[in-house]
Amino acid sequence: MRNSNRLRFTKAGRAKYISHLDLMRTFQRAFLRAGIEITHTEGFNPHAFVSIPLPLSVGFSSQCEVLEFELRRGAELSEVPGRMNAVLPEGITVQKCYEAVKPVKALTYVNYIVTLEYENGAPFGAETAIRDLLSRESLVVLKKSKKAKSGQVEVDLIPLIAKFTVEGRRDTIALDLIIRAQNPGLNPELIVSAIREHCPEASPDYVAFHRKDVLDAQFQPWE
Amino acid sequence: MNRSLERILPRVQKPARYTGGEYNAVVKDRRKVEVRYALCFPDTYEIGMSNLGVRILYGVMNNLPWCWCERVFAPWGDMEEEMRAEGLPLYGLESGDSIADFDLIGFSLGYEMAYTNVLNMLDLAGLPVRAEERHELSPIIVAGGTCAFNPEPLAPFVDIFSLGEGEDVSVELLELYRKAKGEGWEKEEFLQAAAQIPGLYVPSLYDISYHEDGTVAAITPRDGAPEVVTKRIVQDFNKSYFPVKTIVPSTEITQDKVTLEVFRGCIRGCRFCQAGYAYRPVRSRDPELLVKYGIEACKDSGYQEMTLSSLSTSDYRHLLKLCDGLLEWCEPEKVSLALPSLRADNFSMNLMHRLQHGKKSGLTFAPEAGTQRLRDAINKNVTEEEILQSCRTAFSGGWSSVKLYFMLGLPTETDEDVLGIADLAEKVYQAWRETTPEPRRGVRITVSTSFFVPKPHTAFQWEGQISMEEYQRRVKLLRDNMRGRSISYNWHDPDTSVLEAVFARGDRRVADVIEEAWRNGAKFDSWSEYFDFQRWQDAFASCGLSMDFYAARRRDKDEILPWDMISTGVRKAFLWREREQCYQNKITPDCRKQCTGCGADKLYPGGECDAE
Repeated sequence: MRNSNRLRFTKAGRAKYISHLDLMRTFQRAFLRAGIEITHTEGFNPHAFVSIPLPLSVGFSSQCEVLEFELRRGAELSEVPGRMNAVLPEGITVQKCYEAVKPVKALTYVNYIVTLEYENGAPFGAETAIRDLLSRESLVVLKKSKKAKSGQVEVDLIPLIAKFTVEGRRDTIALDLIIRAQNPGLNPELIVSAIREHCPEASPDYVAFHRKDVLDAQFQPWE
Repeated sequence: MNRSLERILPRVQKPARYTGGEYNAVVKDRRKVEVRYALCFPDTYEIGMSNLGVRILYGVMNNLPWCWCERVFAPWGDMEEEMRAEGLPLYGLESGDSIADFDLIGFSLGYEMAYTNVLNMLDLAGLPVRAEERHELSPIIVAGGTCAFNPEPLAPFVDIFSLGEGEDVSVELLELYRKAKGEGWEKEEFLQAAAQIPGLYVPSLYDISYHEDGTVAAITPRDGAPEVVTKRIVQDFNKSYFPVKTIVPSTEITQDKVTLEVFRGCIRGCRFCQAGYAYRPVRSRDPELLVKYGIEACKDSGYQEMTLSSLSTSDYRHLLKLCDGLLEWCEPEKVSLALPSLRADNFSMNLMHRLQHGKKSGLTFAPEAGTQRLRDAINKNVTEEEILQSCRTAFSGGWSSVKLYFMLGLPTETDEDVLGIADLAEKVYQAWRETTPEPRRGVRITVSTSFFVPKPHTAFQWEGQISMEEYQRRVKLLRDNMRGRSISYNWHDPDTSVLEAVFARGDRRVADVIEEAWRNGAKFDSWSEYFDFQRWQDAFASCGLSMDFYAARRRDKDEILPWDMISTGVRKAFLWREREQCYQNKITPDCRKQCTGCGADKLYPGGECDAE
């Protein structure tokens, strides 16, 4: 089965905490509420077939989530955002609905804004320390893995980070990261744990993760 | 969203249950409402959101433009710890505001083991748990639900108990509160006025005295409170509110589907069953209305599963018509329809066959007792032949998994009755061998026994619960006699059943034990992760009370029962007669065959029972 239509949506506020599986269920039900018929799976429990190519971690916000589906009847593509937004829970907003342009395998990079928050102000030198850390030739961290016998594998973060900027403000340090999306992808939480490990003085009290854009191999928006 | 909440949520499991913001959640302007109500369910979000009563009351209260009702559930241990560490008080899911500032806080009491969560939630809100230490008009603590039929173990903590069905009385209470708030009444003045509303019990207006042996000597109302508070019912179930437009959780809950409530009450009169007596009389909805509600609710929610709900669905007179009407819409829309609590008769089996479309999920029967003698004594009007015939129908239709539920410790139970359970399981196995088209697939027969808990307002409210040792002896007897690899036997752990028996028929002094155990860490007692029987034994010891006095003691006919100020509409004399019928192994016909004069038909003008 193939899905040729895509929705681009925002996931923010209270909806940040909806898990990947729950989000798929939420969309399946929302299509039914909106009276938009989409392709179903076969079998004993037929259900609306939707897929999310790049699942978002629970607690992250995003302005560039993509959901794939196949419109059958009940609405024109252009009507879909309005109809869906009327029936989606708070915090999920469909921006547009379109025919897929590039295949999922062309989705190469993700742009994240990671905001490190410091209750007593960003420590002196933290910004530089983080910039130096991310500028190393290699930065190997341990990552949980279900496949490895030890339950952990080593990952070098540097080859997975395509571009970054570090910008310090009074109480926060903002990391603007463009990192690998898949095969293998990089979860920006690993970058924060590397900061905690290698630059303990720069350890934040709280971190907010925001997905800003999804890009192809040429750093152009993936649609 | 609250900033400290945002910081906590990434660290807790399943954070979506603490955020609100679901589809159809009601958000109002806090400056424009006059009364704010926190509707609390003393268990997790997943369980509480599956409760139809919560959804009904939420809809009824939010239909009042001047009232905003929000939901509150018990946070799991990890969340509680974070909230306490961060100083974040218990909040309403819709607004995120601390419920300590609300006008009323209402608890839905469905099972006794949630009592410690009531205390814990009050404490998490930053409120004193004892009513006498809360002096202001706000917040008023209200409690309702099945457990409120014996309110006494929670009486010192709760300001007002609401008895019976809450649709009408909740609105009356809110209207009175609105007036009291507008006119600046004192709390005491408000409580006295509330006690005049039928169905509301204000425990602080009743003095309880005790005999030396610990039994109740007198229940004395004061300040004009009525001697007996009678439960409320919705008179015309066709006109009562049904939550067509209801919250669709963004995370999976226990009952994640549309629930269609077909009728209230039960015609059966099983002598152990509190719901069977307490929800009388039977009142049903028209099938046309139910079909309309079911379709609208599915369309509005996007749910693809619907279930019919009532105490005994196959007793609905128009069941076939209802199913036909629903299936006509459900089948093309690929919505599945489930029918729980069917009786073991052929009609129901054929119906199930039609509904399941080749899918063969397990079958469940609840014969409750192993011999016909004991089934007659408890008035469970089902015969062995009916059970076996249903099994044969099911097995020949390809089913290969059956669950059988029983109780151990029922009044008059002998070893013969216990062994009868093993016999019945064996007969079910033989029925499978005779009828299955696929003998090589095998069969799974699961027998489960629970420990009988005598409940107030039933024919067995005077009975003693058998001791834990005796229960375990009967479990062992049954286990040793349960043969065959295809039959597996599960039994319920007795600890919680003993406590349930204590709380179910406890008096006001039991409140001290609940508070003591809670102060020592008891919460989520219906969850094995948290339950600690030793903690409860210690609490009883330090309060100088005995579990046996409440659980194991047989009451005299003339004893004043702690819940005698509460009436379900069913007369005490009727219940006693039912108890005597039990000891004579005599059955009582169901309400449809013949009216047996329980008294519940007098609950509304022109009321009639279900007799034909």
